[in-house]
Amino acid sequence: MPRPPRTLAQAGPAVPSSLGAVGRRPLVVAVTGAAGFLGSNLIGSLEEDERIGRIVGIDSGTATTAGRKTRSYDVDLTQPAAEGRVAEILAAERVDVIAHLAFLPTPTHATAWAHELESVGTMHVCVAARHAQVRKVVMWSLTWLYGARPSNPNFLTEKHPLRGPTSEPYFADKLEAEEQARRLTQRSPGTVVTILRTAPILGPTVQNALTRYLSRKLVPTMMGYDPLVQFVHEVDAIAALHLAVLRDVPGTFNIVGDGVLPLSTVIKLAGRIAVPVPHPLAETLTAIGWVAQLVEAPPSFLRYLRFLCVADGQRAKDSLGFSPAYTSREALLDFVNAQRLRDVKLLTETAA
Amino acid sequence: MTRKKRHHHAAGPRSPKAETLPPPSSQPPVSSQPPASMDRDASERLIHAEGADVPQFPVRRRPPRRPHVERDGTSQTPPERGRNSKDTGRPPAPPPGDVPADLPSDPNVAARIRELEERLDRMISTHARDRGDDDSSTAMAPVPTRPPPSASSLPPAPPEPDGVFDTARELLSTDFYLRKWGRLGLRSRSEEVDEFGYDPEYERKVLPFFEFLYAKYFRVEAQGAHQIPAEGRCLLVANHSGTVPFDGIMLRLAVRKEHTQHRGVRWLAEDGIFHFPFLGSFTNRVGAVRACQENAERLLDHGALVAVFPEGIKGIGKLFRERYKLQRFGRGGFVKLCLRTRTPVVPVAIVGGEETNPMLSRVEYLTRAVGIPYLPVTPTFPLLGPVGLLPAPTKWKIFFGQPLDLEGYGAEAADDEILVGRLTERVRSEIQGMLDRALRERRSVWFG
Repeated sequence: MPRPPRTLAQAGPAVPSSLGAVGRRPLVVAVTGAAGFLGSNLIGSLEEDERIGRIVGIDSGTATTAGRKTRSYDVDLTQPAAEGRVAEILAAERVDVIAHLAFLPTPTHATAWAHELESVGTMHVCVAARHAQVRKVVMWSLTWLYGARPSNPNFLTEKHPLRGPTSEPYFADKLEAEEQARRLTQRSPGTVVTILRTAPILGPTVQNALTRYLSRKLVPTMMGYDPLVQFVHEVDAIAALHLAVLRDVPGTFNIVGDGVLPLSTVIKLAGRIAVPVPHPLAETLTAIGWVAQLVEAPPSFLRYLRFLCVADGQRAKDSLGFSPAYTSREALLDFVNAQRLRDVKLLTETAA
Repeated sequence: MTRKKRHHHAAGPRSPKAETLPPPSSQPPVSSQPPASMDRDASERLIHAEGADVPQFPVRRRPPRRPHVERDGTSQTPPERGRNSKDTGRPPAPPPGDVPADLPSDPNVAARIRELEERLDRMISTHARDRGDDDSSTAMAPVPTRPPPSASSLPPAPPEPDGVFDTARELLSTDFYLRKWGRLGLRSRSEEVDEFGYDPEYERKVLPFFEFLYAKYFRVEAQGAHQIPAEGRCLLVANHSGTVPFDGIMLRLAVRKEHTQHRGVRWLAEDGIFHFPFLGSFTNRVGAVRACQENAERLLDHGALVAVFPEGIKGIGKLFRERYKLQRFGRGGFVKLCLRTRTPVVPVAIVGGEETNPMLSRVEYLTRAVGIPYLPVTPTFPLLGPVGLLPAPTKWKIFFGQPLDLEGYGAEAADDEILVGRLTERVRSEIQGMLDRALRERRSVWFG
């Protein structure tokens, strides 16, 4: 299996075509959500790529990986005037590609703020991209947006409608963000819009709702349900974003690791104890726990512990040329490795 | 992180590598060549070691024995190696122990030591043979150098104060029991399942029960299994039977037993069952796949042998008086699928399954609210509670018909609804004919 650097190296032939549109100068990439996990690691990855001329970090914080090429701008996407500010920055820096990664990986209680950031923030970014005539927008999204349903096929392709729980702000905002991106493709057909829907990301350093779920000593599961789940390694997720920045492939792609695992096996490989709870009871308990801020996710996430939500990554392999270096199982084991060290306090938390 | 922050605030060009350094003990998420390969190796090692949840007692590693350097400088490694290969790792008979560094200069003494060692080698090998030892885990461990209590004249080896305590600590920690628990939970489960969730280990565990049903309870007889091609994709189309459908698993067993290549059938099950706890995950683990075009196409693309019951939920919901009257075959989805993927169709008739739970009536009142399409009423079911759902021990026969080759129509024929309808009807009437013939020949529901 090729490793991420090799896949990046394979991106070589695609670059002349993508550079052809803007002449011979190296790419200028803007990254929103630059201080987040995906943002900072993508910046770190782009810093090492000689085909990238400059990186523009757009966030209210600074990426810890920002280096020589990176220029950081302090922009809060939740502010009403953000679109004008972003458009100015994009025009001034002559940005070719925006990687829009300003999304929350974990559900939050501050749903109003999350809505401003994800749904409205994506609108700001899309408006600014259109205004500044940015050539390409790469956006992060989730395979969770397909929704977990017993009637799902075992492998959801990109053609499948997004049927995630719209009553949950976490999913509703991201669905709206995808809608904004789709509207951008219709309004400005010249812009390449690439949406990468990643499977739940696991790895040694990433932190999200899933890693918190698997970090518990006692992991609640839904009694009688054992859905197949899949993961993508953080290295693969970032490599896919990097590839999408380099290559001009419009459309939506599922970024997933190969293979699936039953949830019960996942919990046992993680060395945790599964506590089966009848699902009606679990919904009530989770609803109470969420209000009391005792659990990491609202009750609508419990559906993902009952039903299938596994995506097919074939299109990303064929069109984007992305091949994951880690299978779902390897991604999990890599996370478990680091988590063991965290359990015994040999590894302290990083705020990545 | 603070370290990286400092890097960031420091002025001047830095190597980009430094920026992306992860916390020291974790793997870097950014994809730079050497760390990524390290990542990879690490995870591979982990997989191979598979120590993920094995309770590991502390392995006592003793320093390897020093080669005995003789006076003339030649070392005694050959006998040493010979011993290691034969060694059992158990504390052997009194060894001469660690030869002190100040080796006696007398050649006689050296010769005596050598002789003693050879004797010891022989003793160890006979000992190993007697015990029929196969303890491979410790076979490679170096020879213990601790002197036996009797050899008090020799200097004592470095003591191991924490050996016992390590074990005790391990046994007293909750982590040990957590891992043990994890192992127990996975004892009947495979390490990896296939992409549709089939778990061979789990199936092996429940197979005796299915074997009992197959051989003793339903006394299944299969005829014409040779009609199934030895390899490559193929679609079995069968009548659906029984209020509680056992036909999928019986068909799977029949093909595994009767077919020359013992092919494994994946059957497509109604998505209704995946709503229910236990039932869905159980059928999924033993080889069922949710019935939908995408799944069927993916399975056939992998060259699998797939069984479908095109009657679907209507087939299970047949009343007793409608038994063996084939219902509408869906919308001909399976024919379109076969035309598109150029898959041969083998019609299958299952006789006996439709009498296991004779359904007298369907109660559909308020059942939707609970999430089930209807409540079956059999002579025993609501009356005796869940026990009433046990199938009656009818005699089953499974007939495999002539394969129907759709290769000649071409993939574009799948869009021709008239043709699809005609082919669907052809398969349906073929199965109906097989059923009718078998029913005519059958003398008894119970004995065939």
